[in-house]
Amino acid sequence: MRGFRRGLKIAAIGLALVAAPVAAGNKLIPAGQPVAVAKSVLTVTPSVEWNRLSARPGRNSESWTFDGDALNDLTFYGGIEPEKTLFREVSKRNKPLPRIKATMLVTDIPTLVENSYRIALDTPLFTVEGMEPMAFAGKPGIRFTYSFTRPNEDLPRKGEGRGAMIDGKLYLITFEAPRLHYFDSGVAAFRQVADSAKL
Amino acid sequence: MAAWMIAAALAGAALGTGASDRLAPLPPYGAAYTPTTVDERGLWQQADEAERDLRDSPAVVRDAGLNGYLGKVLCRSVGEDRCRGVRIYVVRAPYFNAFMAPNGMMIVWTGALLRLRDEAELASVLGHEFGHFEMRHGLKTFRRGRTITDIIAWTGVLSPYSTLPVSLVQLHFAYNRAQETEADLLGLRYLAAAGYRSYAASRIWERLMAEEDATALGRKRRVTHRYAAGFFASHPTELTRATYLREAAGAEGERGDEARDTFLTAMKPWRAGFLADQIKLNDFGGSEFLLGELAGGQWTPELLMTRGELYRERGNPRDLVSAAQFYQQAIDSGCTDPIAWRGLGLSLLRGQQEAAGRAALKIYLEKAPQANDRAAMAMLIGEGGVQ
Repeated sequence: MRGFRRGLKIAAIGLALVAAPVAAGNKLIPAGQPVAVAKSVLTVTPSVEWNRLSARPGRNSESWTFDGDALNDLTFYGGIEPEKTLFREVSKRNKPLPRIKATMLVTDIPTLVENSYRIALDTPLFTVEGMEPMAFAGKPGIRFTYSFTRPNEDLPRKGEGRGAMIDGKLYLITFEAPRLHYFDSGVAAFRQVADSAKL
Repeated sequence: MAAWMIAAALAGAALGTGASDRLAPLPPYGAAYTPTTVDERGLWQQADEAERDLRDSPAVVRDAGLNGYLGKVLCRSVGEDRCRGVRIYVVRAPYFNAFMAPNGMMIVWTGALLRLRDEAELASVLGHEFGHFEMRHGLKTFRRGRTITDIIAWTGVLSPYSTLPVSLVQLHFAYNRAQETEADLLGLRYLAAAGYRSYAASRIWERLMAEEDATALGRKRRVTHRYAAGFFASHPTELTRATYLREAAGAEGERGDEARDTFLTAMKPWRAGFLADQIKLNDFGGSEFLLGELAGGQWTPELLMTRGELYRERGNPRDLVSAAQFYQQAIDSGCTDPIAWRGLGLSLLRGQQEAAGRAALKIYLEKAPQANDRAAMAMLIGEGGVQ
């Protein structure tokens, strides 16, 4: 019986793989409705429509965009547990990412983001511009701003993050976009989403 | 069947190479040098385009003082007439590397500048790279590579089941290794002629080997000492290089100028930034080894503070205790950078020593009233913000 069910499951996965078009799973997020994000208890209520990308940066994360993630990228990290990495690790042996610690202070969140980006993108051009306290889902949290450049791409990008350590887990929402036009045009919508975060 | 074809093609290639080499007698570093053959023109065009891209890249460090110093060392090393054909670009990248394009564009990574100890070592790296340029290695590799890949392609088409002779592939990679050795030895001659201490060249490779081992251990990887270059290796092993450079330097190797103080003065404004880039790589073993090497038994306040940052960012409970000790030692030995108090405060707070942690953060805010994380730190102290 178990073997048969497993067989069915494999067949179903196989069918899904065959039938799935390349960009399947991208989904419109309607405005004005609460939606649970990043496979977690984190809920937000966007006031404008967003597109959810099917590709996730990691197990407990999710990305939204208006025009594609190269132009505006809103990413939720929903309760990343201690000893896990911020996003998927490409090579644990050669390019290990820093791990979240339960004792992290909110002021350590920008450093974690910075070091993870530097390693994953292979760029030393990442600067945390500033940070200040700001509540996240009603808990003590932090707001920080950063700028970075991907290698082989001279386009300066700006980013803003809002996060908190809640019960030893990391909750974080980031928004990043090219400094030219896209950051300024999208950041208000991001701030509204971050303000609406509830646990 | 494949064997005679390869032999014929190689013979043809050898003739071709010989003939075109005779057409390029002028040194490539000469004023307004114009590439002579089709291959060389193509290669220079590609390199020129890459250089235009690099020139505008935000990764290039454009400081006139630093670039001027590197230029001066190159000129002392290879001679005034030769060095004028070279443009040096310092690229912000926290690993040991330097390379040379066939058109005279030399690239030095900041990670290399952090790892070098004195001017003699810098001169040996610059001289080695210049050697590639002077010997036209880029052009030779290009021709050789094209011939061999042509042969590989043709044997594949004509006899799809024949396996390519292993020796042919080996020849391709061994050729690159021979060029590296040639540039190493030419660099060594420049070093000696310029009056630098020529043991410098072998010491670099010995330290790099040890750092690689430390990185591997830190990442719980097996340490693999490579005593022989792998089949596909483009460079000789560090051990081979250290050995033949030490032998070639001979008894004279210990003599000569190191110019350590000049080097350290030129690097002083940059060290903190280079160190910060290094410790953000999450390479605990390698960074810890490198800091120990740079300290050489004498831990300066700057190195102690960086060591504190390294331990605090890894953040295991025991690391936080060590980090607090390093920051405290930095402060006790005369550190003036407010970051030391910030690090001390944050390590103590994470280690549940709240009163002491808050006291240290207070000093940080007094010393750095304009800090861009002021409000966040004030929140941790309990002065305002969302708690």
